[in-house]
Amino acid sequence: MSDKITSATHSREEVGRIGRLSRNQALRRSRRFVIIKQTVDRVGQLAAVVFFVTVGTAVLLRVVPGDPARTILGSHATPQSLGALRRQLGLNESVPSQVAQTIVRLVHANLGTSIVYRGQSVLSVVAPSFGVTASLVGVTMLMSVIVGIPIGLGLAVSRSSFPDLVGRLALTVAIAVPSFLVGLLLLLGVSLKLGWAPPGGWAGSWPTNARYVWLPAVALTAYLGPVIARAVRQMAQDTISQPFIEAACARGIPRRRVIWRYVFPNALLPVITLLGYSASILISGAVTVEAVFALPGVGQILTTSVQARDYPVVQGIALITAIGVVAINLLTDVIYTLLDPRIGAAA
Amino acid sequence: MVELGLGITLVAGIVLACVLIPLLDHANPDALVAAPLQPPSSAHPFGTDTLGRDVFIRVFTGGRLDLTMAALGVAPLLAIGTMIGATIGFARSRLLDSVAMRLMDGLLAFPFVVLTLVIILIVGADATVWPLPSGAVSVLVAVWIVNWVVYARLARAQILVLREEDFISAARMLGFSRARIIVRHLLPSVWPVTLTYAATDAVLFISVMAGLPFLGAGIQPPTPDWGGMLYEGRGVLGQAPWITLAPAALLAGFGLGVMLITDAVVGRHRRVTLP
Repeated sequence: MSDKITSATHSREEVGRIGRLSRNQALRRSRRFVIIKQTVDRVGQLAAVVFFVTVGTAVLLRVVPGDPARTILGSHATPQSLGALRRQLGLNESVPSQVAQTIVRLVHANLGTSIVYRGQSVLSVVAPSFGVTASLVGVTMLMSVIVGIPIGLGLAVSRSSFPDLVGRLALTVAIAVPSFLVGLLLLLGVSLKLGWAPPGGWAGSWPTNARYVWLPAVALTAYLGPVIARAVRQMAQDTISQPFIEAACARGIPRRRVIWRYVFPNALLPVITLLGYSASILISGAVTVEAVFALPGVGQILTTSVQARDYPVVQGIALITAIGVVAINLLTDVIYTLLDPRIGAAA
Repeated sequence: MVELGLGITLVAGIVLACVLIPLLDHANPDALVAAPLQPPSSAHPFGTDTLGRDVFIRVFTGGRLDLTMAALGVAPLLAIGTMIGATIGFARSRLLDSVAMRLMDGLLAFPFVVLTLVIILIVGADATVWPLPSGAVSVLVAVWIVNWVVYARLARAQILVLREEDFISAARMLGFSRARIIVRHLLPSVWPVTLTYAATDAVLFISVMAGLPFLGAGIQPPTPDWGGMLYEGRGVLGQAPWITLAPAALLAGFGLGVMLITDAVVGRHRRVTLP
């Protein structure tokens, strides 16, 4: 009962007390509190990420057989350059002090300097690639939402179960094929045979980039779109099986209105959370698809840096991608909390 | 039901083929048998590749490798991740739960491909541990470091629900040790969930591994594997599509089969229609 009561005259605690909720319970359910808790959780996750990357790199650098400095510079390196590189890699200090130093630098948004591109900050080396990958991921999410939601909803409300069966099978096939494979086939079919898209590459500026980004985005959407469609379909079906839908239909509310006013908003909810969860998978997929389409994104810079053993750049990339995933998850958490009217509705 | 049958046929068919064909057909997958880029014929059912090797034997030998890698990459994680998750879920300390969750979420935030490349940087692209071919080790290490977390979270979620049940309280009152309760009473209800996910995980693992050659990682040539074959075939996609299509068909078929099985097992079948 207390779930429905809001009051202009009483504070949340008072209403809670009246409705037999303890002050803590009423507080815990308030929307603002939920958002604060989510932010605190994500900050904790962020701390864990930074911890893993910094400690991991520091430990692994020392665990690697051989001398990292020598491996990077080659066997003809002078002792001075070897010493300088070792100092730059932080190999001369203990692990805790190196980790502390890295974290302090991080707070000042300093990711270190690249070894390969001498003197350039990691950030400047890596930023353009992240722009490319971010635009690819962004366009993919947009496409997937536009494509996936109508399909999922359509399958869920279709009167006969045959299109539903066929649709579900098609969605499963689409999810099962890896994105880079779809990209490869699209490259062959759409770009080389039909000429509707350039065979890879990248322009420097928007909006020219659009003609280079759409086909790779389609390849990624072939995975994310069906995932969203399945979730929407499941949620829509769950909503339809609820008594209030049957009641609405029995009351004579037109089918179209029932779908758009009652089923559709509920079916949308999982999409937001799904986008958050998919961020990590999407970045992985984007990196491989970029390799297929020769896009100058994170994949390219990561591959070259790994081959050249540019430790600071690789660490920077790992850090940025992980922080990006956490940030996206926090965003989707908050948006979901704001959108779902059931959260924080008590008292 | 149709889905289940279809799925099982696909998966069983592919697995059997990958196991039996290399055993029965003693051809060397790395041997140069004919002119390069020959279309499928009776002698070479899937044609020859860019170097003149028989695609048929390569694709199934590669499949055997990929499937073994998937098993190696998933089975230990399934066991250990589920155990850890169950222990965390059943633990009494909320602090331990919070800290463990944050740490696990932290691990999960790394996109898998990025992590694999980082590991390759550390371990080296051609590290070899018998009997795995070069390149396999890095992928396995990357998977082992990160993927166990999902199983742990799934197990923990299940346990959190189950621990309130009466039969668990009864077991506790009977004085059973926590370990015994976890293993004999809680885990049997947890395995279905984590096993289902393990199947999807295996498919994901194979897919990611197939994409690694495009990033300069993964199984090194000349060892045949689906990813490597896809990578080699990309240059001649127009003239010799069979080089790409053979591994692609097996890869997609396997993934499709597994997904059909998991859907049939997990799926709620009663379809509701809007009047």
